[in-house]
Amino acid sequence: MAAVAAAGLVLPACSGAAAGTITTIRLQQNKPEVVEYFNALIKDFESKNPDIRVVQDFNAGNWVPGLIRDSPADVVTNAYSVTVADFTRKGIFADLSDLPAAAMTDPKALELINSFGQYQDSELSALPFSLAAAGVIYNKALFSQHGVDVPTTWSEFLGACTKFQAAGLTPIYGTFKDSWTLGQPYGYASGGTVDLADFFSRMPLTAEDLKSNPDVSFGSDFKIATDKFLKILGFMQKGAGSRSYTDGNAAFAKGGAAMYMQGPWALSELTTINPDLKVGIFALPMSEDPAETKAQVTLDMTFSIVRSTPRLEAAKRFVSYLMDPAVVNAYNNKFSAFSPLKEATVNANPQISGLQPLITSGKYYLNVTNYFPPAITLNNYFQTLALNRNDKAFLTTLDDAWHRVATRNA
Amino acid sequence: MTTALTDLRPELHGPEQLDGTLQTKIRRTRREGFKVNWWMTALMLVASLTIMVPLYFTISMALKSPEQAASGTGFAWPADPQWQNFSQAFVLTNYPAAFMSTAFITVLSVLGALAASSMVAYAIVRNWDRKFFRLSYIYLLSAMFVPFPVVILPLIKQTAMFGLDNPLGVAFIHIVGGISFNSLLFIAFLRSVPIELEEAARLDGASTWQTFRKVIFPLLAPLSATVGIFAFLGSWNDFLLPQMLIADPALQTLPVVQQLFQGQFNTNYSLAFASYLMALAPTLLVYLFAQRWIMSGVMRGAVK
Repeated sequence: MAAVAAAGLVLPACSGAAAGTITTIRLQQNKPEVVEYFNALIKDFESKNPDIRVVQDFNAGNWVPGLIRDSPADVVTNAYSVTVADFTRKGIFADLSDLPAAAMTDPKALELINSFGQYQDSELSALPFSLAAAGVIYNKALFSQHGVDVPTTWSEFLGACTKFQAAGLTPIYGTFKDSWTLGQPYGYASGGTVDLADFFSRMPLTAEDLKSNPDVSFGSDFKIATDKFLKILGFMQKGAGSRSYTDGNAAFAKGGAAMYMQGPWALSELTTINPDLKVGIFALPMSEDPAETKAQVTLDMTFSIVRSTPRLEAAKRFVSYLMDPAVVNAYNNKFSAFSPLKEATVNANPQISGLQPLITSGKYYLNVTNYFPPAITLNNYFQTLALNRNDKAFLTTLDDAWHRVATRNA
Repeated sequence: MTTALTDLRPELHGPEQLDGTLQTKIRRTRREGFKVNWWMTALMLVASLTIMVPLYFTISMALKSPEQAASGTGFAWPADPQWQNFSQAFVLTNYPAAFMSTAFITVLSVLGALAASSMVAYAIVRNWDRKFFRLSYIYLLSAMFVPFPVVILPLIKQTAMFGLDNPLGVAFIHIVGGISFNSLLFIAFLRSVPIELEEAARLDGASTWQTFRKVIFPLLAPLSATVGIFAFLGSWNDFLLPQMLIADPALQTLPVVQQLFQGQFNTNYSLAFASYLMALAPTLLVYLFAQRWIMSGVMRGAVK
């Protein structure tokens, strides 16, 4: 045993290490578009850690089967939401709070992760690697052409929309055909008027909760948000119901509207279609006090280590390498996202820099859709609301659906 | 020619009568040979568009740059074809490895489906008088009523326990999963094969295996073509089973690695289509060379 340990210490120094001393770990990576980028990171990591080999698996469908056959990947990336938190609460992931990276991360970002629930109410099951901040994408040329400034209050925003409308221009481009795109405007409307983390922590999750805690509901707390959402939709073009996400990208890139409510993922699509397009992002103000405006984020990529892995040390070294500020900042700069570290570099990308001050000062909330379990077909409800504009029916449907799912959960 | 026919059926037709019929027949055949049914041809041309238009899209998309792919209606042929899309897709998907894995599964599934289902069908049809075989027929058929997603989780667990969480396991499940439908086809066909053919072989001293191998299996050829084609398409294009069952990402199949080009919000259409075209090629080639058997096989399967 001692001999093996000694060999393990000596051998990494020479390049031709024997096969027995190399630990191979598997990384389950959930974003197909960054597979190549991660291959380069892995190469760099392996050259610095010759005793570890990393295999990247981008077949996201392999995660649950891996758990079933008791051989899940050692390190997993996730877009963290209530679905992933389900695994956290069951103790699938190892505690990462003792990693140095946990201390380097912005407590506000860790709070977002923990707000979904922790294993044994104390563990940290995921480390945030990338925050995707979303806001209203606006066409800079059209704004200056019509003499409109970036709105800082809700009434300024309504004023800007009316001004574009009077000039015969579509204020906001809507794409209801892809129902998920409605999650953006609804996210701004609800995130700006409701304390989402607090609200969802009070919502009943199980049949047990349902008995003791029946007086919290969408019907009472989301009324204003839904009304403002419908007001926003009123400024979208006619026929938005038959336009898809791809149509929206093409139309907005060609100057078909002044504003577009999409996340940063649309930016690269927009510049591919029209390389000359100049866009910026602002957080949609939902009140009359500019200081209350917050940015909407998603925990686009987080790292977790599987608790049962026999290669825990190697996995921790790999995650620590990935959470190195140089790696985190380089990645987020390249993919138009924000670093969740305390020592984050400022993202110089003019397309998203409008949100930087809010992120730096910790004024952000999670998109509302992240709190809904997949059993609630939220996007379909959004679409129905967008087409029939019946806010009462929408809120009742949400409450009913939530209670139905909670009743099922033991 | 005429005399030979007359000799065969002298009691049915007199020589003159037959001569007359034959003349009309030849004339009619000639006329039909030259006559073109323009309406039908036009209809078939329009129908062929359902294949040609998507195929055109696939090819032209595969040759476009991302900028070209995003502009226009998509019908335009790329101004400067981007042949490097193919080499890029080739490297990104690690095409040779994925191709070998898919081909391995497909070959095993096709051969296995043919062998297993035909043997099962032979055993059942020739032992129809025994209760056990009649029950096993119903048992096999009842498998068709179990929706696949219902059994996927237990299957993952079982294949892992038996060390089959790899392409071999996928091929095995394909074969087993196909037995009910395939043997149903074989059984229906085998019922029409006269037992006298086998009795002749038996008299010559053939064993059961020899009878099956030398007499029955060759007779099943047209239906084997049908079953083989179904098995080929099913295993070559399968996404769910390899995605769920294959644990090692290095052994993953083409349809699964091609997810690479499709993010949640972004799709790299030109690389994706280049890759689809490369995955499509073997199926297309098989069809071009085997379409004669495919057509006859499809019609064979139509009448059970």
